[in-house]
Amino acid sequence: MLLEIKNLLTCFYSDDDVNRAVDTVSFSIPQGKTVCVVGESGSGKSITSLSIMGLIEKPGKIVSGEIIFEGIDLLKQSKKYLRSIRGDKIAMIFQEPMTSLNPSYTVGYQLDEVLRLHQKDLNKKERYERVIEGLELVAMPYPQEKYGEYPFKLSGGQRQRVMIAMAMMCEPKLLIADEPTTALDVTIQAQVLDLMRKLQREKGTSILFITHDLGVVAQMADEVVVMYRGHVVEKATAKELFTNPKHPYTKALLNSIPSPGKVQRKSKLDTVDENVDYLQFSKEIR
Amino acid sequence: MNTLFEIKNLKKHYEVNKGLFAKPTIIKAVNDISFEVKKGEVFSIVGESGCGKSTTAKLLMTIEEPTSGEIFFEGKDITKFNKEELREYRKKVQIIFQDPYSSLNPRWKVGKIIAEPLKLNSDLSAKEIKTEVLAIMKKVGLEEDWYDRFPHQFSGGQRQRIGIARALILKPEVIICDEPVSALDVSIQAQVLNLLLDLQKEFNLTYIFISHDLGVVEHISDQITVMYFGDIVEANDVEGLFSNPQHDYTKQLLSAIPTIDF
Repeated sequence: MLLEIKNLLTCFYSDDDVNRAVDTVSFSIPQGKTVCVVGESGSGKSITSLSIMGLIEKPGKIVSGEIIFEGIDLLKQSKKYLRSIRGDKIAMIFQEPMTSLNPSYTVGYQLDEVLRLHQKDLNKKERYERVIEGLELVAMPYPQEKYGEYPFKLSGGQRQRVMIAMAMMCEPKLLIADEPTTALDVTIQAQVLDLMRKLQREKGTSILFITHDLGVVAQMADEVVVMYRGHVVEKATAKELFTNPKHPYTKALLNSIPSPGKVQRKSKLDTVDENVDYLQFSKEIR
Repeated sequence: MNTLFEIKNLKKHYEVNKGLFAKPTIIKAVNDISFEVKKGEVFSIVGESGCGKSTTAKLLMTIEEPTSGEIFFEGKDITKFNKEELREYRKKVQIIFQDPYSSLNPRWKVGKIIAEPLKLNSDLSAKEIKTEVLAIMKKVGLEEDWYDRFPHQFSGGQRQRIGIARALILKPEVIICDEPVSALDVSIQAQVLNLLLDLQKEFNLTYIFISHDLGVVEHISDQITVMYFGDIVEANDVEGLFSNPQHDYTKQLLSAIPTIDF
């Protein structure tokens, strides 16, 4: 296992309340595989990924648990150590390609920064070549020209390619992708997903893919973790999950998608009942 | 079925200035499109960002004026309407927006938000308006006690219901739904789609449904029009379009949907 999360508890504190955003969550990510975390907004999927990256800030706190990456518990390490692996061994792609690039620096400068921080033995020319290689890897058209462009000149899909290039710059062992295609058009999404699969094949990267889109899960996942109100309600291989979902919440979620051929047109779709606490079913399943 | 909308050679071009002395570039957001919408159907416009689907919605809502072309509604050209006629037209054609967070005034209570169109367009007393608002709230699945709440006290799905109630209060004939479920979780999306279909049956509404999600469009539509860079590349009924797409772009779009297939 490349990454093992054991009983992770991340809470957010307000004056009189504690919100257990991630509540004793455990799962692991094997080498070279893709694990998808699915759930609705507020289910704790993004907080899980931020916990792995060590990016939980006040009023949030990781209360207990272990995050073991290559045999080392990240929760016991110093900030300096975490900084040294972030962007190097563990990289992240965020949802919003529009806001996660710095608008006042060129694409090239921002990609170069990763190497300046993590590959200090490279000189300027070598770094430039690596950045161009990185842009070529993500199939960016005219990489030399794009090096000097500012983010606003790029389309949404191109910006997300820059983000992926940045994340792949140091050939990370683990790539965390938090809704990387949600803001993109379907045809661009298809390209980006293809690209991520290709990179995984070539570099053996493990991917933690966070999404609410079950279609994307079906395309990408080896294993799926379903989260609901901070808890993991079901863990299964992708095939198992889609052909034989066990937890009532997973079933409700799958049935709520209008999918051609399976649901009659204009018929009532099943819904996830907001008034039901699906966690009550969890004990029977385990 | 009667024709409700007839759109003929509709164009909307925007001029973009590239600099002081440079010639302005013309962006053809909507470039010579024609289509018909029949009464009581769900007419969907699909396409990716920048294809002109939202501009088309704005033109139908008379938020934007067309560069050229005609929009006939019940046989009359709305581009030639005077103020009074426009007012009547806007009562009949309402819109639901994509973002349930930014399309409701955060400082207004729900009751006031839903009542506003009625206040502007009728002579009803305050009491009568409140009765109407409560009735419509019930229809869309909002509880009566929520009348005095503010938008931030609601979830995304509930806010979208508020938007739908506001659109329904004037008893319109047509609702333009501009990506009404794109900002919602799948489970909530299903609830809103169910509601839209129920309301359509009950009030005999016509929907012009704008979306990029082909799964949703397949579920709800009667007719589908595919737009690409300001043009209509294909128009067909829902069975025909999904079983036998003609244009390359439609095929590409259909094959790009991530399917659940095991």
